[in-house]
Amino acid sequence: MRRRLFIKRVLSIATVSALAVSLSACAGGAGGQEEAVSAADGPLGAYEDTLVCSMGRSTIANPKFPEGDSYEDNAYTRYLKEKLNVEVKDSFEANGEDYDRQVSLAIASGELPDVMRVSSKDVLDELVENDLVEDLTDVYDEYASDYIKEVYDSYDGRCLDGAMYDGRLMALPGTNYDAAPCVVFIRQDWVDDLGMKIDEDGDGCLTIDELENITKTFVEKDPGNTGNPVGLAFAPYLTSGDYGGSGYTMMAIGAAYKAFPGSWLEDEDGNLYNGSTTEGMKATLAKLAEWFQKGLVDPQFGTRTWDDITALLTNGQTGITFGPWHLPDWLLNNVRSMDPDAEFSTYTICDDNGKVNVIHNNAVNGYMVVRKGYSNPEVLIKIANLFFDEIVNNKNLETEQPEVYQYVTTVDNSARPIQVELNKNTYLVDEYSDIKNCVDGKISMDEVRSIESKTNVEAINRYLADPANSEVTDWSKYTSRMKSMELIDRLTNEGKLEWDTPVFFDTTETMRTNNADLNKLQEETFVAIVTGSKPVDEFDAFVDAWSSRGGEQITKEVQEIIDAQ
Amino acid sequence: MVQKKGIVSNLGRGTIYFIVFLLGLICLLPLLNIVAVSFSGSAAVAGNRVGFLPVDFTVAAYEKILGDHQFWRSFGISVLRVVLALILNLVLITLMAYPLSKSKREFKGRNIYMNLLIFAMLFNGGMIPTYIVVKNLGLLNSVWSLVLPGAVPIFSVIMVMNFFMGVPKALEEAAVIDGATPLQVLTKVYLPCSKPVIATIALFSIVGSWNDFFSGLIYMTKVNNYPLQTYIQSLSVKLEDMLNAGGSLSSLVNVMDVSSQNLNAAKIVVSVIPLLLIYPLLQKYLITGIVVGSVKE
Amino acid sequence: MKKKTFIQKRSMRSQSMYHMMMLPGMIFVLIFSYVPMFGIIMAFQDYVPAKGILGSEFVGLKHFKYMFSLPDIWQILTNTVVIAVGKIILGTVMAIAFAILLNEIRVRFFKKTVQTIVYLPHFLSWVVLAAVVINMVNLDGPVNHIIQMLGFDKVNFLGSNTWFRPMIIVTDVWKEFGYNSIVYLAAITAIDPGLHEAAAIDGANWWKRVWHITLPGMLPIILLMAAMSLTSILSAGFDQIYNLYSPMVYQTGDVLDTYVYRMGLISRQYSFSTAVGLLRSAVGMVLMLAANGLAKKFTDRKIF
Repeated sequence: MRRRLFIKRVLSIATVSALAVSLSACAGGAGGQEEAVSAADGPLGAYEDTLVCSMGRSTIANPKFPEGDSYEDNAYTRYLKEKLNVEVKDSFEANGEDYDRQVSLAIASGELPDVMRVSSKDVLDELVENDLVEDLTDVYDEYASDYIKEVYDSYDGRCLDGAMYDGRLMALPGTNYDAAPCVVFIRQDWVDDLGMKIDEDGDGCLTIDELENITKTFVEKDPGNTGNPVGLAFAPYLTSGDYGGSGYTMMAIGAAYKAFPGSWLEDEDGNLYNGSTTEGMKATLAKLAEWFQKGLVDPQFGTRTWDDITALLTNGQTGITFGPWHLPDWLLNNVRSMDPDAEFSTYTICDDNGKVNVIHNNAVNGYMVVRKGYSNPEVLIKIANLFFDEIVNNKNLETEQPEVYQYVTTVDNSARPIQVELNKNTYLVDEYSDIKNCVDGKISMDEVRSIESKTNVEAINRYLADPANSEVTDWSKYTSRMKSMELIDRLTNEGKLEWDTPVFFDTTETMRTNNADLNKLQEETFVAIVTGSKPVDEFDAFVDAWSSRGGEQITKEVQEIIDAQ
Repeated sequence: MVQKKGIVSNLGRGTIYFIVFLLGLICLLPLLNIVAVSFSGSAAVAGNRVGFLPVDFTVAAYEKILGDHQFWRSFGISVLRVVLALILNLVLITLMAYPLSKSKREFKGRNIYMNLLIFAMLFNGGMIPTYIVVKNLGLLNSVWSLVLPGAVPIFSVIMVMNFFMGVPKALEEAAVIDGATPLQVLTKVYLPCSKPVIATIALFSIVGSWNDFFSGLIYMTKVNNYPLQTYIQSLSVKLEDMLNAGGSLSSLVNVMDVSSQNLNAAKIVVSVIPLLLIYPLLQKYLITGIVVGSVKE
Repeated sequence: MKKKTFIQKRSMRSQSMYHMMMLPGMIFVLIFSYVPMFGIIMAFQDYVPAKGILGSEFVGLKHFKYMFSLPDIWQILTNTVVIAVGKIILGTVMAIAFAILLNEIRVRFFKKTVQTIVYLPHFLSWVVLAAVVINMVNLDGPVNHIIQMLGFDKVNFLGSNTWFRPMIIVTDVWKEFGYNSIVYLAAITAIDPGLHEAAAIDGANWWKRVWHITLPGMLPIILLMAAMSLTSILSAGFDQIYNLYSPMVYQTGDVLDTYVYRMGLISRQYSFSTAVGLLRSAVGMVLMLAANGLAKKFTDRKIF
């Protein structure tokens, strides 16, 4: 029977071979509206009949599900079934780039899942232009809970705007809170051993010269006793999209010169420019070139991989590194495992005026879309309500839903059947104030707002009870929260942060074709300047080449898009 | 019989042994390193301190693999696809190679087939059209999606065809006069003389199927259905890529879990073992195959 | 007279039998190779998955023109061809040499063990092997220790535009020569040992016999393999280079595949990558047909 079916299919494909490829690609658009499953009112109204919702699921490597659970069947999806009577069926599951490929294949074959994550604006544009996704404006207004609306409002519209087309909301954008500035982590145990005095005014800010002196001392004295200290080690690419990805980059140093490579910014007169082409960028490169010359930058700069740099830190060849506030949670923990005496202090770099220059992150990270014609597009909003309001704000989750509580505390977020994050823009400062107040005994554990903060308080208390013999994970939480977050909180409160807002994050037509060339030109030139194989003045030639090889055209296009807004 | 010693001098033979030994040694090093990593403690691995001997010896990674159901499930899928592909490949390759080894006078249309095959070997429509074909055949998430698209390895067809061309015509003519059909000539005359090349393409087939991870990524939409190499591939993510893609903090923590590097190394070691076992089985045909030359005209 | 008709009849029967033998394989080739070839049209379109192949806009040779208008295109093509040719030549020579040497080994246990070991690196992915290579060749690594011991200056292989290509070629040969030698070993076994014995009696030394007996015996398979590898002249090995290169060596190490990959990171460039693939196939076909022609002319032996 199956065999005959197969042969039939073979024959059909052979005869209409020419059309098979193209026809199926159109099938998606012709679906029409399906009949809706009725549900109770309200942001968390349950469906009367089970609503089956097919999804594209973006996964991670090594997910840590309890025995027997999977992406399709886990505490979160069971909770979703219980509360909303929605059953999740995964159309595809994949990880990173492979997920994006599956999305493209699904689009190309005309069979989109009911709900899926889209990683880039490019793909969202394509889906919207070809009328493949539902307009969510009305269901958002009607179903989104007050708290969810509050979350989006904390970005002053910067987040929702990212998914607006002609004033209509075509996707539910994930939020990306500000995590500036880039933190400088310095081995405090080495500083103590060497009897050094750093940041004597205690404002948490280092000047470029102070950083240079500390690096010089570390290189000369070799406090890691490796016989081969390397100074400052950087990843070969100089910049990253935002502060969450700034590990091992030179964003912290650039900021001291107001250099934000790759970002689209406006000067005081409202003129658009790209951060890679500024005088500040040139000054940054000049300083790094000087340091490279003096032996303060890793001699193998330009070819180090991420793992190499982690190894340099772990081995004690370098004791200064740059990155997002959470670096201790997932990288510096290796250093502590290797050397139980390792301690890190957190600083940031300020400019000549004592200010710390920072830019806002792209407020959007990923989009959730609903297939055009799906019977119940509001289900996406309800799922968001359930996972980013109900679960987050339920004080009694531990007793009412122990299984879900266990997931929140131990299983990573990719297990949720909604694959964006919805956090307030003030997330870091809020979390810090709860943790700090609770650790200090000013508020009780019940008053701590998020479950994540509670677990962190417990970890920090364990660490503080016996710092010398604490578990590495407790040490990580202590360092990332009580040191990095504390620094950000302090700088924010003292008004030390000088904010700038990039005006454009997306891709223009010419970027699609020319950016690979421009990025190559930039990376090559920058690395060459730092290592001294090209003089610093080569930067000016780079700026000219950048403009003529597409940069000027791109600037024009970005300007047009901004003007149209 | 000439004495072996007479062929190459002792000195020369010593040099040959030494060179071969050296080549073997440098090929052994990377594997030794991976084996050492798989038996080492995680902090030592992160610190890049593991050379060719384990540091902080532990078998924790292997214990974890024993309990990893998906690993063994994927292992099973890989074995299944290797067997299916091997059978299909061997049948199709030999069936095609025989007529193609005839001259165009003996087999009219031979050159048309040959040209079609060579064109198909060089040109392809790319990932998306192939995916759509596989999907329309209803093969997604089936082991057949890993087997059927590669059912005819054209390179192997050409290779076997070349070997068949060297088989002495006298043998075939004798069989034909005895009334053998082409199919009988193939199985009774050609295949027995071609063991080395058959063993070679069998090895190519096994190794190719076992090593291929990309079709798994495309045609299998769930990790449950991944063959082993796809599963292993999906575990080793480049951190840079994740950061650039805006990976969330919780996923970063998970990916960087200190145990993952030595665990992944252990998975690689286990995945190579079947190939280590298969090779010696086929080796006897490769080293001492039936000598075609002995029946040459 | 009678005999001729018998043979003719047989030949007729054989003809249809031959077609029957070709049929199953050709069905697979038709479905999985020829049907998807409609995708080649994408190279002449601005393909958008949501629009499908019928719906996407035709742009003629735009992508080919763009490819050759890239400021770095000649550098990229040069890198690709130099690395690919280096791999083909050194890889083929090493594989053949190793097969011949191994064939001289008489201790069966040693022979089998070495053969198994050298074929192992083929199974390790470049993601894994790159980490090993980086540790070996970086400034503090064992290779540089040896270089220093020999009295030379340290070499930053990963960051040097002089050394990057040789390093890529050598490490690739290191990974693949054992596996590639398998087919040559199979070829050697097909050589009549009687020829060797006869030559030995005539007083030919080992080199002479390798040159006059072993290599000519392997010639068909060498020609076949060489012709096949020519088709990859525009692919220098994405995984290897991607895991080892950096902006410092773009000048000598950036190849077609890595460039197309970086383009795809910015936005999905299906049409452009199809165009590159088409160019690659076309060049491969020309080279392979040329090789076939040359082989026929000089050795009187067609490859296919």
